[in-house]
Amino acid sequence: MAAWELLKDQNFRLDGRKPTELRRIETRLGVFPNADGSAYLEQGNTKVLATVYGPHEVKGGRGRSNPDKAVINCQFSKSAFSSSERKTHMKFGRNSSETNQHLVQALNAAVMSHLYARCQIDVYVEIVQSDGSDFCACLNASTLALIDAGIALKDIVTCCSATIVDEKSVVDVNYVEESSGSAVLIVGLLPKDEQIAYMQMKGRLHADHLEKLLDCAVEGCRNINNILKERIGEHLKTHSSHFTLTRPATPGRAERSRPAIA
Amino acid sequence: MLKKDKIVQLKNPIGKTFRIVREQYLREDIPCHSKLCLSDCIEKSKQDYRLPNKDRASHYIIPDCLLAKNYMELLEMPEFRGIIFLQTVTYFIQHEGSMRLHKSLMSIVNNPFKESAIFYNEFQRYAFVERKKGESIIDWRRRSVYNATVWYYNHLAGQTSFVILSEDPKMKELYEGETPNIFVLTFKEYLKTFFSEWEGAFNLYESIKDALEERSETDEIAGYLPNEVLEAGIKSGRFVEGVLNVNRYCANSEAFLKRSGLSSKQGGEESDILIPGQANRNRAIHGDRIVVELYPKSQWKSRIFVLVKENETKDVEDNSSSNKMPTGKVVGILQRNWRDYVASFGTDQQVKVTGKAEKVIVRPWDWRIPKIRLSTKLVGAFKDHKIVVRIDSWEVDSQYPNGHFVRSLGKAGELETEIKTLLIENNLNVGPFSESILKEMPVNNEEEKWTMTPEEIKKRRDLRESHLIFSIDPIGCEDVDDTLSIRKIEDNKLELGVHIADVTHFVQPGSLTDVEARERSTSVYLADRRYDMLPSVLSGDLCSLLSGVDRYAVSVIWKMNENFEVEDVWYGRTVIRSKYKLFYEIAQKIADGLDNEEIMANVSEMAQYDKKDIELRIEELRWSIIKLMEIARHFKAKRTEEGAVVLEGSEVKVEMQEEKIKNVIPKKSLEIHETIAECMIFSNHWVAKKIFQSFPSHALLRHHPPPRQEHFDSLRKCAASRNFTIQTESNAELAASLDSCVDIDDPVVNKLMRILATQAMSNAAYFSTGSLNRELFNHYGLGLEYYTHFTSPIRRYADVVVHRCLMAAIDETGKDNLMNNADLQTSAEHMNSKHRAAQQAQKQSQELFQSLFFKEKSDDETCVVDAVVLQLRNNGFIVFIPRYAIKGAVFLKNKENLVVEVSNKGETQWVAGTLNLKENSVLVQTGSKRQEYTLLQHVTVRINVENYHGHALQLSLSLVSNKPFMPDVEDEKNSENSVVQSKSELIKAVKEANKSFWTDDISLGPNYTNWKEEFSQTEESKSDYHTYLALTELNKLDI
Repeated sequence: MAAWELLKDQNFRLDGRKPTELRRIETRLGVFPNADGSAYLEQGNTKVLATVYGPHEVKGGRGRSNPDKAVINCQFSKSAFSSSERKTHMKFGRNSSETNQHLVQALNAAVMSHLYARCQIDVYVEIVQSDGSDFCACLNASTLALIDAGIALKDIVTCCSATIVDEKSVVDVNYVEESSGSAVLIVGLLPKDEQIAYMQMKGRLHADHLEKLLDCAVEGCRNINNILKERIGEHLKTHSSHFTLTRPATPGRAERSRPAIA
Repeated sequence: MLKKDKIVQLKNPIGKTFRIVREQYLREDIPCHSKLCLSDCIEKSKQDYRLPNKDRASHYIIPDCLLAKNYMELLEMPEFRGIIFLQTVTYFIQHEGSMRLHKSLMSIVNNPFKESAIFYNEFQRYAFVERKKGESIIDWRRRSVYNATVWYYNHLAGQTSFVILSEDPKMKELYEGETPNIFVLTFKEYLKTFFSEWEGAFNLYESIKDALEERSETDEIAGYLPNEVLEAGIKSGRFVEGVLNVNRYCANSEAFLKRSGLSSKQGGEESDILIPGQANRNRAIHGDRIVVELYPKSQWKSRIFVLVKENETKDVEDNSSSNKMPTGKVVGILQRNWRDYVASFGTDQQVKVTGKAEKVIVRPWDWRIPKIRLSTKLVGAFKDHKIVVRIDSWEVDSQYPNGHFVRSLGKAGELETEIKTLLIENNLNVGPFSESILKEMPVNNEEEKWTMTPEEIKKRRDLRESHLIFSIDPIGCEDVDDTLSIRKIEDNKLELGVHIADVTHFVQPGSLTDVEARERSTSVYLADRRYDMLPSVLSGDLCSLLSGVDRYAVSVIWKMNENFEVEDVWYGRTVIRSKYKLFYEIAQKIADGLDNEEIMANVSEMAQYDKKDIELRIEELRWSIIKLMEIARHFKAKRTEEGAVVLEGSEVKVEMQEEKIKNVIPKKSLEIHETIAECMIFSNHWVAKKIFQSFPSHALLRHHPPPRQEHFDSLRKCAASRNFTIQTESNAELAASLDSCVDIDDPVVNKLMRILATQAMSNAAYFSTGSLNRELFNHYGLGLEYYTHFTSPIRRYADVVVHRCLMAAIDETGKDNLMNNADLQTSAEHMNSKHRAAQQAQKQSQELFQSLFFKEKSDDETCVVDAVVLQLRNNGFIVFIPRYAIKGAVFLKNKENLVVEVSNKGETQWVAGTLNLKENSVLVQTGSKRQEYTLLQHVTVRINVENYHGHALQLSLSLVSNKPFMPDVEDEKNSENSVVQSKSELIKAVKEANKSFWTDDISLGPNYTNWKEEFSQTEESKSDYHTYLALTELNKLDI
């Protein structure tokens, strides 16, 4: 049935969710032992891998370092096999660099960068499978990876998308809903103080619907926040016996002792 | 929720396969919609109860995929209730069936009378079956349907049985008897078990089955471009989309694409596209939404400009005219708009009763529809009946579309059959109101009188004692929608009030009455009968503002100063008691100074007053009517300044009652008609302003787009022939020009000018304010910026919608029940089409009576009449007959190229000659004579009736003389009366003739009555034979 008919008639979306329900979220932290921090996040069928290296010395000369805060550098990449048709994406194309900048903006709001002056933090994000709300999954995964790296954050950034189908707002859009043509709003939230760190919208939207949509997306972010906090807590419980965290007083690698047995 | 993935392998048109993976979330809170549910499904999801409980249906029906696709028509019939459409079945229909099927499914589910629902088995965790590896999709669907039924049965704890309808033998094989109370039946078995008496269903089933066998497996879209190409073409402008309109008079050779969409209804630059001939039409049928590709300009043709007779089936080519218009061919069909068609078997059909399905060609009643091929066993039974057929498909290689028989309407030629034909052809569903609707109605009869409750009265403003309220309507009118009041208030000011029947108090949104009224959208007035939109207890009694009884109303009250400028306006619900129910003529006479005796005799309400009061009362009433007329004149003058156009319809209203004519409404209106109309227009205008102000994005208004300039050609030509000029740039200019087109010697001229102007007008239409540009809101004909319909909620659904809107605007009640913009626009389009259908049916019923009248009275006195030349053609002209208000074609040149010559003695004959079409006249030259016919000239014609088998009777005109008939052009008054009388005679004569028309004209002789008594059959009630018959039947029943 046409998506909007299904919604209007029975309050169900094409995949059986209600308008305010999120997709299934699976997380795993610390998937890469080599990196300082890494995380794997699944939102429905969108699968994202994020790795964090840092804080370390600024690469590329003195000129680029900032005496007051850390420089966050993001690299976003989409695998060729991530969508239904194989398509190689340019790592340094215009699209990618735009997304990079957005990620940087969002993470800057969360990271306590004054603690890491003259340092650089690298975040690498790779979309392994794409099924809608790619950017949201990226941002969520980056946050988790930063936590896994032990970098100090004001608050975790949660990100959620929303769109309007037949005057009803639906949260966490999947690929089919995204490609139906209506405007998609993406909101990145710092849940503790309910501050919006990042907001992006693609498409045309009637001004009357904006407030509704925003509320819906923010509510989605709050729900994701609850889920992520839970997962982080579980992860720490199972792994806390394995290492001790030492806070770096000076810029340098965060020291962690890892036992030989995982 | 459980997450599962649905994996589907698809092949795109190039042949490349790819996998699509979709998520599926399974949940447990899917509502079952049944009244029998024990586990509160319904509370949790706030869905309404749909499926019936035990006393309404003994079982629920679950159709499987293929059966639902093929036999949807049968499922639509009202006798089948309690149908559950599974999600699997719904998706199947969406993907493999057509848009039309899907719409039928949705309308079954949304129709409260059908008590059916959609169940989402693929979302329900326990009803869902996962597709096994290597399982074909057909097997999976079968398993899905069965499992969902089992879940349902268990969910309702075995309270009711389920019937799975399937024509698939494997379904029966696998699942029959697996679970108690779940039965697997084919449709035929089902009918035999539960509906064995119902012949109509069996017939329909058989004909659909036969039609299915006929259908070849070729693709529906063979011969058309694929959908993506069409869409791309439309977007890029290469193709044009619109609706196919076939020319009624040369249905085989000419058709047009009429552009669709609101924006094209205005007088835009986009004109229609000509589609000449059958090949270019590419199997599209009148009413389909089509996509057309334009030919290059060099290949453009012109419209057929010659007069064509109805039965000419050959293609008519005419390249003589220089008015080339855009020409194109059909390359794709977006949507088929097939409906039920009335048809008859041809006269030359050989009736072979072989018991097998025969292929016959039937001819539809509507000229514009091509002949249809049926495969049916029923030719013999219904040979001389009119039947209803439906079209199934039109194969690429076939000359005619395939269809199937639905049911019979009765013997052709009988009056009731003809009326039923008209109703079906116009898609009007006007049967009696169902039991469930009548149950919702309030009661008001001798035993149980309806009374007002004090709480309700408190909520309203009480005008019963303070205001003199009265109504003025046609004589014999029972449904009084509107009443008026006018009184003086302080400071020399006036208070004008319009009080309309409060229908929305009785008809709640969402009730069955409301659903039915929305479907009907309007009351239908045929020449001899009326079909109401609301049950008569409302339309004729409780909503009707009759005199002397308390009634609820919705009022608009204006406070005006002595110059009739509005200072204040009040809207709200009221309680009124109308004092007088007047009719037009008497109201006019009262205003003109009729004496008190006459008034007392004619106005029955006066009888209740005693002698002293009566004079005061009469003066009160007289003052009110005169004041109203004054106010109306003022309003009208203001509107004319703004550009209102006074138009002239060419219809005459006739009232009937049984065999006698009740009354005839004269063509020329009295001033009182205009007064009432003006007051109604005024209130409609103010309500429109109010609801638009409060709900700028979803108010229901009515607009009239300005006419297309090219439609004025005929008017301009006529005017030019008498040296008048018509300015058509704006409505004000048009109105002024029409006023100036007067010929002192021939008063018919001005009337004709107005008739031609009326024909050039576009149709007024309802719309939702959120769907149209502000600039297109205005009403051209009335010269108003905002307009809506508010004053007749008893006979129009649009007014009911506007009432609800108004109530929400004044006190916020029911604001959430108002339709949103998209729904309102859909509703408006439905109302527009129903309104057009009702008008069309009315016109056709008048034509029917006209034709019957002329067939009966083919004497010279009735049939030879005066006519005025209106438009010129290559082979004749089109005339207007003032006496009967008929328009028709007069041929001057026939197929053998002979022309009509009128001799000195006034006889006509066909001789060899030539015909020249000039700017303002047609010149006929024969060996001996030179006769010229100019525009607006009077001639004499004879009216004949043509009987084409299977179609409506047609009038045809033949020239009698080129002089006016009875030089009585000055005698306009007489002809006026004779118009009136002849129309009434017409209907009267037809009703009488109806009795004798269809039987043979035998003179019965003087002894007839005696012989009848002695020799004829006894009545059934007194006959022994019938008693014996009844007893035998009783015996057979074996009780």
